[in-house]
Amino acid sequence: MKPLTTEDASKRMKGRAGSRFWNKMVQQRYLYLMSIPFVIWIFVFSYVPIWGWLMAFQNYKPKNGIFDQKWVGLEHFIELFSDDRFYLVLRNTLGMSIMGLIVSFTVPIIFALFLNEIKGKFFKRSIQTISYLPHFVSWVVVAGLITKMLSTDGGAVNQLLMSLRLIDEPILFMAKGEWFWSIVTISDMWKETGWNSIIFLAAMSGIDPELYEASTVDGAGRFRKMWHITLPGIRTTFMVLFILSIGHLISIGFEKQFLLGNPQVIDYSEVLDLYALNYGINLSRYSYGTAIGIFNSVVSILLVFTANAIYKRVTKESVI
Amino acid sequence: MAGIKVRSTGDKAFDTTVYIIMTIVGIVTIYPFLNVLAISFNNSIDTVRGGITIFPRQFTLENYKTIFGFDGLLTGFQNSVLRTLLGTAVGVLSASMMAYTLSRRDFQARRWMSVMFAMTMYFSGGLIPTYMLIRKLDLISTFWVYIIPAILSVWNVFVVRSYIDGLPLALQESGKIDGANDWTIFWKIILPLCQPVLATIALFIAVSHWNSWFDTYLYNSQRPEFTTLQYELMKVLQSTQANTNYRDPNAVHNIAAVSPESIRMAITIVVTVPIIVVYPFLQRYFVKGMTLGAVKS
Amino acid sequence: MKRKTQMLLSIMLALVFVFVTACGSSNNGNSGNKPAATDNAGEGGEQAPAPMTIRLASGDFNASWDDMQSDIGKFIQEKTGITIKADFPVGGSDAEMFALMVASDEYPDLVMPKGNVAQLVDAGALMDLRPLIEEHAPNLKKVYGEYMNRLRWSEDDDSIYVLSLDGVDHQYFDAGGGFQLQHQVLEELGYPEMKTVKDFENAIKTYLEKNPKTEDGQPRLGLSLNGGEWQILISVTNPAFYATGAPDDGEFYVNQETLEAVMHYQRPEEREYFRWLNHMNNIGLLDKESFIQKYDQYKSKIASGRVLALIDQDWDYMEAENSLKAEGKFDQTYANFPITLDETFQDHSFQGTGYIAGYGIGITKDAQDPVRLIKFLDYLASEEGQILVNWGIEGKHYNVIDGKRVIPEDIQNMKTNDGNTFKKSTGIGNYNMSARYGDGVKDSTGNYFTTNFPEQIQTQYSEADKKTLAAYGVSTYKELWPADDAFPERKYGAAWTLPFETGSQANVIFQKTQDIMKKRIPEAILTTPENFDKVYDAFLKDLEDAGVDKLNAEFTRMVKDRVDLWSK
Repeated sequence: MKPLTTEDASKRMKGRAGSRFWNKMVQQRYLYLMSIPFVIWIFVFSYVPIWGWLMAFQNYKPKNGIFDQKWVGLEHFIELFSDDRFYLVLRNTLGMSIMGLIVSFTVPIIFALFLNEIKGKFFKRSIQTISYLPHFVSWVVVAGLITKMLSTDGGAVNQLLMSLRLIDEPILFMAKGEWFWSIVTISDMWKETGWNSIIFLAAMSGIDPELYEASTVDGAGRFRKMWHITLPGIRTTFMVLFILSIGHLISIGFEKQFLLGNPQVIDYSEVLDLYALNYGINLSRYSYGTAIGIFNSVVSILLVFTANAIYKRVTKESVI
Repeated sequence: MAGIKVRSTGDKAFDTTVYIIMTIVGIVTIYPFLNVLAISFNNSIDTVRGGITIFPRQFTLENYKTIFGFDGLLTGFQNSVLRTLLGTAVGVLSASMMAYTLSRRDFQARRWMSVMFAMTMYFSGGLIPTYMLIRKLDLISTFWVYIIPAILSVWNVFVVRSYIDGLPLALQESGKIDGANDWTIFWKIILPLCQPVLATIALFIAVSHWNSWFDTYLYNSQRPEFTTLQYELMKVLQSTQANTNYRDPNAVHNIAAVSPESIRMAITIVVTVPIIVVYPFLQRYFVKGMTLGAVKS
Repeated sequence: MKRKTQMLLSIMLALVFVFVTACGSSNNGNSGNKPAATDNAGEGGEQAPAPMTIRLASGDFNASWDDMQSDIGKFIQEKTGITIKADFPVGGSDAEMFALMVASDEYPDLVMPKGNVAQLVDAGALMDLRPLIEEHAPNLKKVYGEYMNRLRWSEDDDSIYVLSLDGVDHQYFDAGGGFQLQHQVLEELGYPEMKTVKDFENAIKTYLEKNPKTEDGQPRLGLSLNGGEWQILISVTNPAFYATGAPDDGEFYVNQETLEAVMHYQRPEEREYFRWLNHMNNIGLLDKESFIQKYDQYKSKIASGRVLALIDQDWDYMEAENSLKAEGKFDQTYANFPITLDETFQDHSFQGTGYIAGYGIGITKDAQDPVRLIKFLDYLASEEGQILVNWGIEGKHYNVIDGKRVIPEDIQNMKTNDGNTFKKSTGIGNYNMSARYGDGVKDSTGNYFTTNFPEQIQTQYSEADKKTLAAYGVSTYKELWPADDAFPERKYGAAWTLPFETGSQANVIFQKTQDIMKKRIPEAILTTPENFDKVYDAFLKDLEDAGVDKLNAEFTRMVKDRVDLWSK
């Protein structure tokens, strides 16, 4: 039986250049049918509201229509870039998000790998179920727990360290600005590892079991299997998620930093989204808030497409 | 080579280490949850004293009574279940359809569609334009406002697509040989093989619908018949926080009979328990060793 | 088999959930979604007014809103025919709620916009109530009386857009603030003089030296401040002006003669107050976690009885104190004192403001029947209406015995112990939507309009309170404070009610100063005494760099405008 492609190819070559495009379109009509509705949908719900970006170039007041406002050009952007605080929060944001990115793409995978090595079905399923529970506990509760644990007034961590004679006096963990980023990252790791590992588990379960069997025959041990089969097997998923996540480095929300923070570490805890809230919407400065939003979006898109370009250059594949 | 698996000492040591580490992980992650559970069953005045670990000190059902005593909880529950079921079905189907079309390297429109979709993850028009759009579309005060604006999640599209990319090309080829069109290939070949990833995104979408309340607040706050569970619980939570203008001499600072901390904990439990109950049904799809059937060759 | 059991369990769980919810809601007796809007007309009642359903959007979340199902709610429905459907900001901020309203140009009948009035006025959303009041609302005129001019919007616009809901001629019967010391500390030291921070400090030091640990071996804490969250304003920075002879004018200090305003931190006296806090930290009397603890932690420390002293407002630590009371540990609860930096200062907590004219209620341009609404509000402001919303229904929530209104014990119990249910079932506290008299004002029958009055205060004191009060020769804590008329009334009311212009530069600078303060004040308090001045100087310099002079100038202008406006 001749492979389909050759027949197709000859058909295509017979067609005229101009109608090649339309021919193909008809040929792929099902694919179009499956996708065009969503294109329309995303245009309506994601692209149409972009008119709101015009607000950033005005002194927007909600009572008038969008074209009925006072135009101020780049004034808000200039104000943003000349604010010292902006650079401070930007630094904090990037610091914590890069740390978070690294942790959330290593620890959950290691966790998933270990989970797969567990033989007992019941134990495996239980641990997996337990591991994602913290994801559902709100940050308000988690921040309270962490603060209590790190407290000098009977907090568990200090008690443990003192009983092991590692320190003489309790450490005021939450007061140390330089440690704040690590505290946030570790808290996040504890809270989200289980949940984040789910997707890697799914990817791992899609790997052909025959590959494992074949490697056993070749005498491969556990680690070699992990290194040569499992990890490469989830490579695509990993790369896609990683690169797409790079786009989120700038807008990481502010809930956990706000709840874990306090006045003593404020120089390390305030992030861009909190700044946008405090100086934008809360003061009814919609234009300023929108300007920050535009900045966020532009930077995010630049980051993602740059990361993708690098990826393309190195591996000849593309995530997008 | 012998086919018998001999467990070397190295293997055994590794296994033991894994078990130890995972047990520690289990304890560390379940402790806070048990703590939440304990506080939720503890008398709220006693809770203020702190020091509760995994057992309630003064057992009470008061916190739960307060929560369940709020009207609208039942309607909220029903609406949330409905929206979760419908939204998940729609979301999974749409994400997989879109993912399949984008996975086809030969698809004419692939490049621009891909970019068009990807970009939307990183920008937004803002609260006011979105609100006005929903208004224009007459979706305010309806049930559909929960479904229609949430039909597709681009993130999930890319996740599924990367999974499809990992499937052997031979499958699609064989489908074509058998004369199947793109839709049949999608429906009969690709979808069944994507169970793990579909289960995964089903979980994400379901949780997202289950937990959302902001859209209820924005669009349906005047329609108690469309309320959702999380929104009702939010109201309960807010009710126990002294939110009044602290400087106002005339404001009566009510301290609710039930403290915020106990309520917060009880709410966490109420929200999480249904998810824990449903989860095992999905779990078997993506935890290795439990997949039904192997790749059909 | 396992699958089946799982299924069974989950179905059972779901059923339990549904069952409990259904039971819970029916127990509270409310499940009505919407009352029939048109069928409520009183059959046979020839005077029953036509029913009307109106919408109210309130910026203050009211958890105990009863949807007109309470006793008072139903009474109001029958009497006026009006049914109110209320919206609150849930989870979002009130600013957002009103912004969306303005953007979509759709308004409910009534709004209680809190600080968002300016936006609504700009958008032309609120009706001028002056003509309506003139014609249809004699009670409103009566209650506001001479303070009517304080409802005027501005110099150029003499409309009345909101009816302020603050109580007119409100009096305070007790002091909830100041500095707090545990009764057991005062008792052991023989109730020493408590006037200055030195007295305060010595009491703490002496007691702590003698009793560093509790009976169970837990370490005691001298002074713990609630400085880890937003309450830093209440527990750390506001006391700075109270202790140095200034009243609460928000973050500013206003010179009463010249009406010039500066940020209160810029006063040299306050530097000395913070220096004292720094000293307290230096000698180990200040809880090191004061600025990193969460509110829950603060409360649990207090509830454990280990904290000897606080500087806070009673509503902030009330929950913890209640926990102590529930355990019978009354000697570990607190007494309040108007401590000042030294003998030259007096605590101005109660310096008069006249009528504050703060947040209120307005009628929007989309209202179905403004005349009916103003009459409705007028009814609530009448004597009958005020007694209704404060006391309830005669025979049900109170009885008149020998001409005096008395609350029966079961109602009083519910009110003290189960505030939310009380509000929801009786409706008392849910309908304060119109002008009203404050505490201490008597009606035509010689009874008080409100249910807070002086005689009550005594019943709320514990034995420990009474002992301490007796030792200091007073019958309420407030008597330790200077009298209400010791200082002249502030002509501008209270400066914290002055709204910044939306989105103005001054507002931005103000926000910046708040961020600076949150960083520098803890820093100044926790550093070494030698370093204190350096840090405080850096703090003042940061304020200058952020534009505090412009801010002060703007605020001064706002104060002066207000004085002009109110003296017309």
